[in-house]
Parts: sequence; C-alpha cells; structure tokens
Amino acid sequence: MSLSQSFEALVPRLETPRLVLRAPRAADFDAYAVYLASERSRFTGGPMDRNLAWRAFGHVVGHWVLRGYGVFVIEDKVTGEALGTTGPFFPEGWPEPEIAWTLWQGEGRGIATEAALAARTWAYEALGWTTAISLILDGNTRSEALAARLGCVRESSVTHAQFGPAGIWRHPAADAQGAGMEAYA
Amino acid sequence: MSAVTLSPTPVLTTDRLVLRAPVAADWPLFLDFTRDERSRFVRAAEMDDEKAWRGFGHVIGHWVLRGYGMFTITAKGDDRALGMAGPWFPAAWPEPEIGWSIWNAGAEGKGYAFEAASAVRDWARDSLGWTRFVSYIDRANTRSEALARRLGCTPDAAAATPGTEDVRAWRHPEGGAA
Repeated sequence: MSLSQSFEALVPRLETPRLVLRAPRAADFDAYAVYLASERSRFTGGPMDRNLAWRAFGHVVGHWVLRGYGVFVIEDKVTGEALGTTGPFFPEGWPEPEIAWTLWQGEGRGIATEAALAARTWAYEALGWTTAISLILDGNTRSEALAARLGCVRESSVTHAQFGPAGIWRHPAADAQGAGMEAYA
Repeated sequence: MSAVTLSPTPVLTTDRLVLRAPVAADWPLFLDFTRDERSRFVRAAEMDDEKAWRGFGHVIGHWVLRGYGMFTITAKGDDRALGMAGPWFPAAWPEPEIGWSIWNAGAEGKGYAFEAASAVRDWARDSLGWTRFVSYIDRANTRSEALARRLGCTPDAAAATPGTEDVRAWRHPEGGAA
C-alpha cells in the first residue's frame, strides 16, 4: 500500500445522504487552488497564488498527523467532485478547537450544512469533544447564516493577527445535539 | 481512534544517524528552530508561531502529496529531532531539490548535515530515480554553501530559483550512486 493510500485508510470516511467526507488527496489540489485564487476565498485566508495554496494544502494534510484529526474533503456522491472541506481544526494560534467549513464550489444547495453537521457529530462522538467553536471573519455573512442554522451563537469577538476581526460562534454542546444528528454519523 | 501517521515511509540509517519520517512530537523542536535566529536563511522573513505551525504541517503533508519529503534527523539511540533533510518539491520550486536544516545548535559542527544530506540524496537517486536536482541556498548562508561544496555541488547561474534573488541554485553531480 502506498503512502497516500495508507493515509487515506487512516482518516475516517463519513457518509451523509448526498456526500462523502474523506481524506484530502493530491488530486484535490487543483480545485483547492482555483478556489484560493478567487475572490470568494477572502474570508478564508485568500486570495493567494498557486504556490502559497500548495503550502496551505500541505498543512491541510499535515494537520491530520499533527493533531490526529483535521478537515475532510467534501465529495459529491454522484459526481465524485471535491466541493470543499469541513472538520475539526486547531492550528497554532486558534483560541480553541473549531469546526471549520469551506465550500470551494457548489454553493446554495445546503452542502456545507450537511457536511459540517456530520463533521461536528464525528468530533463529538469519535474525538470526545464536548464543545466547539467556529471562527468566522467579520463580513462573511453566508458563513454566519450557516452557523446560525447549525445552532451556533456568536459569543465574542477576536482580532486575529493575520486574518483580522472575527466572531467566535459557539456550537450547541455535545450533550445538547438534537435527535436526527445521528443520521449523519 | 488510532493515530494518523505517515506510513509506510523509509527509515535510513547512517553511521551515526537515523533518518525517519516527521511525527507530531517533532513540532516543538521545529518551533524552537523557527524562533531562533539560526533559521533566518530557511524561513519566511516575518515568521511567527502560526506560520511555523503551517510550515511544519506542509513538511508533513508534502510526503502524502508527493510520496517523498523531508526526513527528520535523529542521532542513533535518541529519537529527538535534530533537523531535517530530504527530497523537496513544493509547487513553487522550479525543479526538485535536496534540502537540509539543522534545528539544534548543539548538533551543528559535527558533520550531521553532510551525513544526512548524503544519505537522503542516495535515497532520492536509488528509490525515486532522481538524476538532476539542485539545492537552493541563500547567498549569505556560507555554512550551507560549504556543505553543498562537500557534496560536490556547484552554483548553476542558469537555473531558475524560487522567490528572491538572494537564493542561488547549487547543482548536484549527475549520476552519483550507481
């Protein structure tokens, strides 16, 4: 088994009605780089060129080894397309562990909600997290709306040294997750 | 859940060193290095702990994305990271390189970097089939230039370099290990 196959086998694979959440692969990089080159990425550290995007994608992969968890690539079950990432994320400098989500493409279909719910459930059940935040840069109203749909409440503000002013959104606690979440586990 | 590690990855052994894939436990030692002035030739100009974290994540992720990457240098019998060396080819690089850095000041001056760089170069040639590659070295990094010379490298003025003009490409001899 090659290194990339072994890595993929070590990262869990989650399924929702429309999506597969799986390990990031080298083949995902092009879609990621296209997203990061676009203005749409302004709330997630972009826009940036392909060279910087490569390093960022390396970190997406390496985070799994450094923390034992990380963001999954969201794959469309039907088309197999990589649509974005979501998952537990805790790089150096974050106020506390978060549930992150980024849609590279495929907006407006509830994909991010479906994926982020599955990722949160996994963080609570498999990692034993009891609480989680999501860090959302000020002005990212679409992501704020998604956080609200996930039951999050904006509890405070921070200014990140590199990314600027952001809100800390608190997710419902693990023991408060409503019925039906298990369907995504 | 079980740990996510880089596997299977080779372990190279030299007279005094064991070279293995990077692990999470190497992170604090890498961080110490990036905070040290000694890292000035191999890090971003405006370094901070968050960039160091992302940089080390990339060091690890490079293995999965390319199938090879930087080995952590350790002394035999002591698993603590002293530095790293290995075949390195991020998207910004004009061509593949053999990179090296000694993180621990106490590990300098012992020929460890030469021993490690020789071993990873042999591995790149034998296992990856590399024949033509360089090492990118800051013009002010005289110690690393001296090491490149010991490895038989010569400056290649015609070779493109990543980033700034401060960096020169040192061409490794082709052929080498038969």
